[in-house]
Amino acid sequence: MLNDITMGQYFPGNSLLHRLDPRVKLLVTFVYIIAVFIPQNWTGLAVAVAFLLLCVALSKLPVRLITKTFKPIIPLILLTSILNVFYLDSGNVWWDAGFFKLTDHGVYTAIFIAIRILCLIAGSSLLTYTTTPTALTDGLERLLNPLRALHVPVHELAMMMTIALRFIPTLIEETDKIMAAQKARGADMESGGMMQRIRAFLPVLIPLFVSSFRRAYDLATAMECRCYRGGEGRTRMNRLQMHGRDVATLLFTAVFVAALIVLNIVLPSTL
Amino acid sequence: MTVLETHNLTHVYAEGTPFEKTALDDVSLSIEKGELVGIIGHTGSGKSTFVQHLNGLLKPTSGKVLLDGEDIWKDPKQIRRVRFRVGMVFQYPEYQLFEETVYKDIAFGAKNMGLSDEEVDARVRRAAAFVGLKNELLDNSPFDLSGGEKRRAAIAGVMAMEPEVLILDEPTAGLDPKGRNNLLSQIENYRKENGTTILLVSHSMEDVARLADRVLVMHKGQLKMLAPTDEVFSRAEELEEMGLSVPAVTKVFMGLKNRGINVGQNAYTVESAVSALVARFGKGGGADA
Amino acid sequence: MILIEADKLRFQYENPDEPPKTVLRDVDLTIERGEFVALLGHNGCGKSTLAKHFNALLLPTGGTLLVEEMNTADEELSIDIRRKVGLVLQNPDNQLVSTVVEEDVAFGPENLGIEPAEIRRRVDDALKMVDMYDYRTHAPHKLSGGQKQRIAIAGVLAMKPDCIVLDEPTAMLDPKGRREVLETVRRLNRENGMTVVMITHYMEEAAAADRVVVMNEGRVWMDGTPREIFSQVEALKDVELDVPQPTELCAELRALGWDLPADVLTAEECVDAIASYLEDRA
Repeated sequence: MLNDITMGQYFPGNSLLHRLDPRVKLLVTFVYIIAVFIPQNWTGLAVAVAFLLLCVALSKLPVRLITKTFKPIIPLILLTSILNVFYLDSGNVWWDAGFFKLTDHGVYTAIFIAIRILCLIAGSSLLTYTTTPTALTDGLERLLNPLRALHVPVHELAMMMTIALRFIPTLIEETDKIMAAQKARGADMESGGMMQRIRAFLPVLIPLFVSSFRRAYDLATAMECRCYRGGEGRTRMNRLQMHGRDVATLLFTAVFVAALIVLNIVLPSTL
Repeated sequence: MTVLETHNLTHVYAEGTPFEKTALDDVSLSIEKGELVGIIGHTGSGKSTFVQHLNGLLKPTSGKVLLDGEDIWKDPKQIRRVRFRVGMVFQYPEYQLFEETVYKDIAFGAKNMGLSDEEVDARVRRAAAFVGLKNELLDNSPFDLSGGEKRRAAIAGVMAMEPEVLILDEPTAGLDPKGRNNLLSQIENYRKENGTTILLVSHSMEDVARLADRVLVMHKGQLKMLAPTDEVFSRAEELEEMGLSVPAVTKVFMGLKNRGINVGQNAYTVESAVSALVARFGKGGGADA
Repeated sequence: MILIEADKLRFQYENPDEPPKTVLRDVDLTIERGEFVALLGHNGCGKSTLAKHFNALLLPTGGTLLVEEMNTADEELSIDIRRKVGLVLQNPDNQLVSTVVEEDVAFGPENLGIEPAEIRRRVDDALKMVDMYDYRTHAPHKLSGGQKQRIAIAGVLAMKPDCIVLDEPTAMLDPKGRREVLETVRRLNRENGMTVVMITHYMEEAAAADRVVVMNEGRVWMDGTPREIFSQVEALKDVELDVPQPTELCAELRALGWDLPADVLTAEECVDAIASYLEDRA
């Protein structure tokens, strides 16, 4: 079933992480994604992981939710790890099979990259788990607002994102229904070669396309009924306000990044 | 003769997760060849889950579905054959139209059965006639049809497979009174001519009262009643406890009985109410009261 | 007091590939403040097109339509007209914009540039009026059809309109959802004095209105109280429109000589009528 998608889903809660300003969360996530690539030694990496674990603890979400997001990327991690182990033959040789050398450098790099990828995934899912999609778009819109001076249609992009988020579950449900209806007419979507399967999906894709257009038309009418005229002159019910916790979070993140850089300077590189 | 049977049919969604939900709970029943069974129950009662088991769109968590005495999941590779024999028209079937022409769309199911072109052609024309689609419409794009025509074209697409059992899920939802009446008559005619067994899922007690021989009542995933239509509607209080209603004329008859007026039998359509009252009290004028 | 006034309203679709299609032909209709009007008729009779004129989504190709004395033809007034006349559409899924209930309800007032604190008040009030306040932080796609439709109604109410027009709001709902929406609409009319125009195919819903307008082939064909309209069983059946079952039952018995009133609407009235007739006869 298509309904089992957890990535990008919001899990309601009232933890510190849930209550942070979405702009702060977006900024911190962005900084964190860059920051996991700073550490060049085990201590630094441990600090980066610790930062993440602290966030997970503060989110009060079950750890299982985070580990679940790892599942789809395990093949990717395995692949990069194998490539690293195979191709990096500098450093101390642990085992030599002639065509293949197992070196400490290769293994360490593989572990480093695996942990970085896991941190990236966990960090960004933590953002979507603790922030409603609306708050997310809202935060993004306001962070990017200065770009309006450069004629970037920030409001329109944010509106598009909101609507996309609103309609994804609806369209997933609809896809399920259409698939069932075509299967009931004997459509065979499970066997045959690549081309055959693509063709077999047309009976699902065409109705889905048609219905998306119908929905878009309806939605446009409904928005017009509710006096939508674009971003000009619009106000918002929820104003975003920075609180003490937001400022503290930003400061803490700055200290974290600084710490990673300092650790790189004072400690020798593992890689 | 029994055509469809279920034995202890149970379906659990998302088993083993916090979202686990038993949608069907130990349903055992049998459907006779040629009968029209109305299926009622409010949203979430399990009636859609139930009918999707009958043509193998859903697989039972436990229990069995037998078609002509044979387990439909005996050979999972043959499940498509079951879908041709137990045709299923979903709610708002017009949203499944996709072909370039109405003709091709109606032919889709029959073609998937691997029939010869002549046979497909004959079936498409028969099905189109049953739902009252004129020949000249068959070459149009299905997306150019009116709402009611789209609905009928989609239903014809399932009829063209000439299934032994035809399941219709809310076929009249969203139609205007005229469209509703026409479609119900077409279903009646189709049944009369083909002797097809029909299962009609509906929220409209009036539609069920008009068409059904027997009525199946689902509530919280369980089978609560399966009995002749008049018997089911005579148990109005039980139905109301399940959040279901009875046709308005049935309410009138119940009201009369409560007033101590002996109306003889029960009634669940206007026609049957008129004939029951006239049979009991005669025509106007007070002659034989 | 007149809220909406259509005078010889005509509308035709202009399509370059096809001959123009006339949908509304000289519609004369006035809606009074505080009324609950049910609009009936077959698909294609023009009732949806008429509803879209009420809030200036469509503009007349002939005649005039005034909303609180504002002419809808004046495009500068469309925003003012739309905040006075809110339109709720048939498919509840397709008219909700946001992923959170209260933010969806806020969409209208936000577009009008209203102060945030005032929007908050309006959103809370609107959600309470449709009895969905407890769901304010829920995601719309997880609600039932009836609940979604009530959110759509709240979204319109938050603009503080004088009138809400509902275009077949119950067509896609189950009986429970239909009851919820009908009760909500009726309460808004009775308790808040909201003017309501509701298009429906369900005769029981029309019977709950103060006034029934039947359209046929682009014209207003009948206009009266539910009793006046539904007592004309033959005329309605001629154009294949339904009447409530109790009304039909009495009509058929009348045709057989039973002396019953013609304007029976509900099952209870029907029981009373038949019981007292049989009593008289005995």
